[in-house]
Amino acid sequence: MRSVLPIIVAFLSGFIMIASFFFNADRSFLGKLEEDLLTWVTIVGGFTLLLGVVSITRVNFNAVKQKKEDWFYKLLTLIAIYVMAVPAILPSSWSPLFGDEAGSIYDWLFTYVDTPMMGTMFAMLAFYIASAAYRAFRARNPEATLLLMTATLVMLWRIPMGEAFLREISIHLPDYINTFIMKGATMAVQRGIIIGAALGGASMSLRILLGIERTYMGKG
Amino acid sequence: MSIWDKIGRLDRRWIYLLVAIAVVLPLIVPASFRVYVGPEAQQLFDAVEALPDSSVVLLTFDYYPSTLAETEPMSVAALHHLFRKNCKVLTLTTVPLGGPSIAERVTRKMAKKYNKMYGTDYVNLGFKANYVAVLKGLGSSVESIYPTDNSGTPLAELPMMADIQNYGDVDFIFVVSDNGIVENWISIVNAQYGTPIGAGVAAVMAPKFYAFIASGQMTGLLGGMKGAAEYEILVGEEDMALKGMAMQSLVHLLIIGLVILGNVGFFLGRKKEEGI
Repeated sequence: MRSVLPIIVAFLSGFIMIASFFFNADRSFLGKLEEDLLTWVTIVGGFTLLLGVVSITRVNFNAVKQKKEDWFYKLLTLIAIYVMAVPAILPSSWSPLFGDEAGSIYDWLFTYVDTPMMGTMFAMLAFYIASAAYRAFRARNPEATLLLMTATLVMLWRIPMGEAFLREISIHLPDYINTFIMKGATMAVQRGIIIGAALGGASMSLRILLGIERTYMGKG
Repeated sequence: MSIWDKIGRLDRRWIYLLVAIAVVLPLIVPASFRVYVGPEAQQLFDAVEALPDSSVVLLTFDYYPSTLAETEPMSVAALHHLFRKNCKVLTLTTVPLGGPSIAERVTRKMAKKYNKMYGTDYVNLGFKANYVAVLKGLGSSVESIYPTDNSGTPLAELPMMADIQNYGDVDFIFVVSDNGIVENWISIVNAQYGTPIGAGVAAVMAPKFYAFIASGQMTGLLGGMKGAAEYEILVGEEDMALKGMAMQSLVHLLIIGLVILGNVGFFLGRKKEEGI
């Protein structure tokens, strides 16, 4: 029963979503059912966020309690979660520091701590990419040479100075890069990936609907 | 040890220092470059420009704070264009971490500049969990997914929302994103409801979406900071993206220079090994 019930729920939910696509949302029973189902999904989605917070709290709290390796960082994680979340959940009518409006604790932490930290992490990629490009980007064989030349052309094309330089060589060169590299080779490869991923997604969905795929229930 | 051996074994900290200089130098010595507008950015601008006055445009803030440098200038430039055309702007986000706050901050700042009233000229719906259900659900009823706006005001109390029931009442969707959600906007919203979609995305994602432009499922594309700079030029508001182009130019040139240097060292070293 523990396996059968989720399969029935998954099948019915998926079937309703597929079938309702062919019916008018305003006039048909199935359309209304789809609307209700989607509202339910967003509500369940909200609870999954809550579940995530509970789970991360439990895992990290136990690690801190037992003084496991790197317990201090786990403590910082817990402090960061609750210092951000609790003032944001409390109603702003109690104090202007609560809620998520401008001037609140949450807003201050988000603007002056979270945003710069995330920006810094992302910006560090530039340093690693520069170092990796210097060490690893070698014209060892014809394929690597082709990749290197293409990457150099695209990098030049994506900056004003580079595009001006390419235009000095030929006024049409930037358009050729756009046409033959971006809308040619790159697009062909991307289409293959997109179509492959879509087919994979569709077949996986069908397997879930028919109860063949059960890994989402923790079963092999 | 020859000079090429030394270059080949260059400490990575020197590279980090060069990158830092390339980023900081344009801040000290400002420089401006001519930015050429690409056909994809022009297509997006033309699509928005062709909208009649007071059209309803859904502008999404589907990005994390980490990519603000690339994506926020796109949102700002889009709002310049939309508010100038007196479009009714509906904003939302599928990103819980910062999305609602960024949408609130950027739209309010821009609305103040153009004297736009909240609830009449623009509404921020905020975030709801499970983006696939949100995108699909908005096709049936906005109010069933978002009973209230980001601040908790019921949609029924916002005059602008009286005429917006679902995608059928939205004339254009301008997605600004740094993640794979753009594909969902295309496959769920454009494919099933036919609403035209244009997007501004982080540079690293842009190549993927050329396929959707070619298939006609996307109306225009802004790729990274360069795309944002192109849109700033098109709307005549030179701002952060154009300023950032100087840094991006220097870092790109530095990487190209390092690749060339690394390869010269590699070939000379190999020749030496072969005894040529």
